[in-house]
Amino acid sequence: MNHAHAYVPLWCKSSYSFLEGASHPEELVEEAHRLGLQSLALTDRDGLYGMVRAHVKARELGLHLIVGAQISVSDGSSLLGLATNRLGYANLCRLLSAGRLRSPKGESVVEWREVCEAAPGLHALWLGGVEGAAAPEVLGELRDAFDDRLHALALRHREPEDALRERQLREDTARFGIPVAAGMEVLYHTPARRELQDVVTCIRHGVTLATAGRIIRSNAEHALRAPASFAQLYADAPDAVARTREIASRCGFTLSEIRYRYPAEHLPDGSTTSDYLRALVRQGASERYGERIPDDVVAQLERELDLIRELDYDGYFLTMWEIVQFCKRNAILCQGRGSAANSAVCFVLGITAVDPVRMGLLFERFLSKERGEPPDIDLDIDHKRREEVIQFVYEKYGRSHAAMVANFVRYRARSAIREVGKVLGLPETDLDRVARMLSHYESLSSETATSAGLVAGTEAHEHLVRLTLEIQDFPRHLSIHPGGFLLGHEPVHDLVPIENATMPGRTVVQWDKEDLEDLGLFKVDLLALGSLNVVDLSFHLVEAHWGKRLSMATLPRHDEPTFEMIRRADTVGVFQIESRAQMAMLPRLRPRNWYDLVIEVSIVRPGPITGGMVHPYLRRRHGQEPIEYPHPSLEPILRKTLGVPIFQEQVMKLAVVAADYTPGEADQLRRDMAAWRRSGRIERHRARLINRMQRKGIAPAFAERVFEQIRGFGEYGFPESHAASFSLIAYATAWLKCHYPAAFTCSLLNAQPMGFYSPATLVEDAKRAGVAVLPVDVRTSLEECTLEPHPGSRGGFAVRVGLRYVKGLRSDACQLLLDARASGAFRSFEDFAQRTHLPRQTLTRLAQAGALEGFDDSRRGALWRSLGVRDPAQPQLRLESRDTSPCFATLTDFETVGWDYEATGHSPRGHPLTALRDELSAQGLADASSVRALPDGRPVRYAGMVICRQRPGTARGVVFMTLEDESGFLNVVLWQSVYEKYRILAKTASFIGVTGKLQVESGVVHLIADSLWQPRVHVQPRRRRSRDFH
Amino acid sequence: MGRTACVDLPELPLQLLLRRHEEWRPLPVAVVDRDKPQGVILWVNERARSSRVLPGMRYAVALSLVGDLRAGVVSEGEIEREVDAIAQHLGSFTPDVEASRDRPGVFWLQARGIMRLFPSFEAWAARISWLLDRHGFASRVVVGFSRWGTYAAARSGNGIRVFTNAAEETQHVREVALERLGVDPSLRDALARLGIVTLGDFIELPANGVLERFGAEAHALHRKLRGDLWSPVQGEAPEEPLRSSLLLDYPEAQVPRLLLVIEQLLRPLLDTLQQGDAVLAGLQLRLRFEDRTHAEHALRPADGTRDLAQILRLVRLRLESRRLESGVEEIEVEITPARAKHEQLTLFAQRRRDLRAANRALARVRAELGDAAVMRARRREGHLPEARFSWEPLPKLEAARPRAVIVPPLVRRIRPKPLELPARPRHEPDGWLVMGPREGPVDEITGPHVVAGGWWMRALERAYYFVRTRSGRLLWIYDDRRRRRWFLHGEVE
Repeated sequence: MNHAHAYVPLWCKSSYSFLEGASHPEELVEEAHRLGLQSLALTDRDGLYGMVRAHVKARELGLHLIVGAQISVSDGSSLLGLATNRLGYANLCRLLSAGRLRSPKGESVVEWREVCEAAPGLHALWLGGVEGAAAPEVLGELRDAFDDRLHALALRHREPEDALRERQLREDTARFGIPVAAGMEVLYHTPARRELQDVVTCIRHGVTLATAGRIIRSNAEHALRAPASFAQLYADAPDAVARTREIASRCGFTLSEIRYRYPAEHLPDGSTTSDYLRALVRQGASERYGERIPDDVVAQLERELDLIRELDYDGYFLTMWEIVQFCKRNAILCQGRGSAANSAVCFVLGITAVDPVRMGLLFERFLSKERGEPPDIDLDIDHKRREEVIQFVYEKYGRSHAAMVANFVRYRARSAIREVGKVLGLPETDLDRVARMLSHYESLSSETATSAGLVAGTEAHEHLVRLTLEIQDFPRHLSIHPGGFLLGHEPVHDLVPIENATMPGRTVVQWDKEDLEDLGLFKVDLLALGSLNVVDLSFHLVEAHWGKRLSMATLPRHDEPTFEMIRRADTVGVFQIESRAQMAMLPRLRPRNWYDLVIEVSIVRPGPITGGMVHPYLRRRHGQEPIEYPHPSLEPILRKTLGVPIFQEQVMKLAVVAADYTPGEADQLRRDMAAWRRSGRIERHRARLINRMQRKGIAPAFAERVFEQIRGFGEYGFPESHAASFSLIAYATAWLKCHYPAAFTCSLLNAQPMGFYSPATLVEDAKRAGVAVLPVDVRTSLEECTLEPHPGSRGGFAVRVGLRYVKGLRSDACQLLLDARASGAFRSFEDFAQRTHLPRQTLTRLAQAGALEGFDDSRRGALWRSLGVRDPAQPQLRLESRDTSPCFATLTDFETVGWDYEATGHSPRGHPLTALRDELSAQGLADASSVRALPDGRPVRYAGMVICRQRPGTARGVVFMTLEDESGFLNVVLWQSVYEKYRILAKTASFIGVTGKLQVESGVVHLIADSLWQPRVHVQPRRRRSRDFH
Repeated sequence: MGRTACVDLPELPLQLLLRRHEEWRPLPVAVVDRDKPQGVILWVNERARSSRVLPGMRYAVALSLVGDLRAGVVSEGEIEREVDAIAQHLGSFTPDVEASRDRPGVFWLQARGIMRLFPSFEAWAARISWLLDRHGFASRVVVGFSRWGTYAAARSGNGIRVFTNAAEETQHVREVALERLGVDPSLRDALARLGIVTLGDFIELPANGVLERFGAEAHALHRKLRGDLWSPVQGEAPEEPLRSSLLLDYPEAQVPRLLLVIEQLLRPLLDTLQQGDAVLAGLQLRLRFEDRTHAEHALRPADGTRDLAQILRLVRLRLESRRLESGVEEIEVEITPARAKHEQLTLFAQRRRDLRAANRALARVRAELGDAAVMRARRREGHLPEARFSWEPLPKLEAARPRAVIVPPLVRRIRPKPLELPARPRHEPDGWLVMGPREGPVDEITGPHVVAGGWWMRALERAYYFVRTRSGRLLWIYDDRRRRRWFLHGEVE
């Protein structure tokens, strides 16, 4: 390359300048490298959102990445700030944080005064004043603040206005002796992205391409240029080109310089964090094991503590301990998950509940000196009380030292279709139809668009398909990670800019989880887990109604009735093993103890499934094939799982032992596994792994399977420690369901929304289990569901549905009702209406829900009377006397259930299909329990309500549906050809008929569909919410 | 007892939508109020209705019921135009035709005296149905005794129905489903919850109870259906044409004499306008010449007027601008009336604005040269030079609000249509002779400025240059990179 042509693009915006840049940071870096550029400045608008991705790619390619940002100033202009050193970077972060924190979400504004104050360590590039303004006086102030670290940036995009703008810029800056550098605003890495840039600009401004006018750029001159092309653009100003190199040479800061220190604990007695942690561990070990701590535990603890001290991670463990202590003090259920369960220190500190020494879990999976990565402890917290814990962290560390981790909301196919199509001017109703044809993970194809009614072959059609694919995975805006915290010894805003989250009282950093991992920063994950709330609520109900105090630690370790229930796949509502796929596996795996549950939750995962490990494991477990190891060296690794790798760490160890991976290679494999969906990097391990295994004498088929499993593990494999933690909660919820089904159902209903099934399915399941569920009643219901003595119900208690289940009933209305009831029972509808002063709309909702039936009135009568009540604004309540009420037809059973569903989303009074059973039977349609009793291979016609649709990525286009009727569930399998043929019916129908053949295997029943149809009944059951394609 | 008929073109907006999208006929289709997923469904076809898609639903909700539901918007203007046209057609069957204001596609016809013209009501109704079918509309025709009775029957059945007595009509109406009546969806749903699904059920409800619970509109409907409110069919009164003509004794080719004749014709028409508080909005002047040719002139004053002198000035300008080849034998004038504004009716309205005079002058220009003679340029936010402004007719001159501007030193005149230049030769021994040898070669060139866009419709890419020729002309040219041709787009003066 001709050195005279060399230049540095100083103003580049990526897709992280939301809806402005049209290339990912990695693409900009790769293209710059391909063009032979030595450096590139990434300067996204008011943020460093994409900087880590660019940094990782630049490090990989050896390109000098200049860290900077475009800073918006209050007078409407902006300037570029480039970090020359660590101080400059901290100042940039502070400046951006100040702008963001004072502005509404998505905006940022700073004052010139603040820019000047942030000058140390920053290099500024003046982009020109606001159009039409007089020569900016602020230039003098900037020159004083930045001295020789201030340049003006000329911009040439082959637009007619370029010359006039540059002349003005040169005149303005000449007065203050500010040199001019050559530049352009880079918005995409190649001109091919210009169209996408137009589209995102239109999305940002809410206009269509046809009406955008000059909102979109006039040409495609905003791509990275080759050096010669740039030199030609500035052929008249080679000195300005040379200045870009000079500026770049001054910007020596890289993100690798960030030295992170975890916040030190403030210890009252002056002891070190290390001493304090050791003391806590000693105390915790005594509590876990008693006075005689086993030798192997002591040795393990010592080993871990030494490593923690050596890596200076004591503070992190103390933080987690602090948080757990806070939860315990406040009776908030919490439990550590993930690789932390491999740590004995975490176990004795009460952070996790699995004993890693007893389970033989590897501490190195959690923390290793070679890996040099910070530990990652995820803490599951009762989802209703997690906010208390979050505010505790803010309070303890202060807002300047704690902020939540970001999550970037990205375009998926559905959102992309809607927004791109709108910009193209396509009818929104058409777009909605196309979008609904796709599942969450599907991409738009030309065929899908055509089948949804878009005219194939038109330009708009082609643009939609192409641009929708292109925009997918683009970040749209910043959101918040479910529970990740970044804590810092130094203020966090010196590490990364902070901004306000949408949720009040939360601040969020501009980097996501992967960014923090790439930079090796500590993250504390406080995750919400609904099942912990269920367990907590159940414990309280059992204590209140049965007088027994329960806790996770005191539940019986092995309870045969519970495992018997699990083996029957009677697991609706049970954590982790309630899904359709898990239910189908339970009768095959037949768990007998807690460790079987660990296997169960791990085996129904894409890793083992795509790796073809499921069937070999099951055959070996049931003695149908011998337990063999592909190589003697693998026996220690695979013994626990009968020679079949099921856990993530087994796969890692396989690579090391069977394919002779070095620790470095294994670490790379782990990273590539986590990232394979994004970049496909896992493929490069294929040949290496398989060849090396074969050289060691391992069968090629096994080697292939191991590789497939590694690939499948990606983001979807469970480490053993993680599965073990989850299995504790799974067992606890199963035990509660088995022994206290009423309390369990009541808790599940109160913990909603959560879990796999809708309240309707939970209620139906409870009813089938013999638990009476009583409808909402204004005379007895509280806001939440409660238990009432009921001799006919299993366990002696029935679930009374709470007022919260009446749709549209606000919490304050509930309170009004409860306050009025506290002063005496309601005597009649009139008494109720007069004393509660509830508005007419609320009364009608209660009437429709059947909550007023207790006043000896029909539901329709109650509705008529509710409609006649004047709103509280008119205090003189006028109620017609009863005899003036017309006679209304009594609700049929079918209508009764329909009203329940409409008003409360479920029906304690019956199943929607009960009233249709005679009609269905007359058509030869049996119920689910009868169908399940039929033998294998029997042709079947069946009709049921759809409660779940799934199309797992591992199933090669096969769709699974769970149908339900009053007798239970029936699982339906749709091969891809059948699904494609009945696609619309399969995706949209709530009540559906299936013709097919029964498949019965190891007690697991599936109906293999040949065709779908709409059942012919005189009325259609009310539509129910199903869990679709999640 | 008087006979009334109801003609219902079911879901007229839907019929219009299907006329636009023939390919949608076998599918479930709905008309929505706006093209958004949250748009409310106004009308549905039977396919959609059978899947429980009902008016009042949001499109997104309906789509979850029927995956292949098609939807579109039909504007009120389009509906109004069609309703007017259909009313005109129906006018040939009875003088009294009333189009429903709030139910497009529903018409009431006074059927009194029809039996003198048609052998039976059935034949009359069949003829109506046949005519509408010929115009591409499906219809139902019911002949009965009451406005709402026939309407309800028309909404619930197909084809033609004739009630022989009022009791038969009443009995039939009681069985009609409320859903068919097109009542407000929220009222329909609220009543359905109470089990009130037929008109008979609805009529049985206590009137005061309906008023209290469902409001005045529902109450009015209730009374109508019970027969408590009666109103006759109110047809549109036909407008009398304000037209006058005169057969001249001998052919006249002199404009002043023709003007005198026209003045005689106009004067009584303007008096009629005055009596009706109306003004002249337009004037049609039809001339028949002795050589059996015809001419027709449409004139429009700046504003509605009854000022005879002003109108005659416009007529004179128009006639003087045309050479009358032969004498005029017959003249007809026809006035388009318009409701007069209060100001126009004020006898001594102040006349301080010069704008009126200006507008009169412009009206004269239009009269003489045609409407397209008075245009104005409006700025547009486009990238292409020709898309940065557009020409549009200037209907009325508004008061100017000039801004102080710095007069640019140069003026760029843009050609209405770019002029294609000769292809640039590979070898230019005498330099680039962009405009031929007479202007000399290009001495100086600035550019390019690139305009590229329109990719979503018709992609184009132009590289613009300013070039100065040896002769001193400063040209503004571009290289159409897609078509590989050069064009002259303007010149700088």
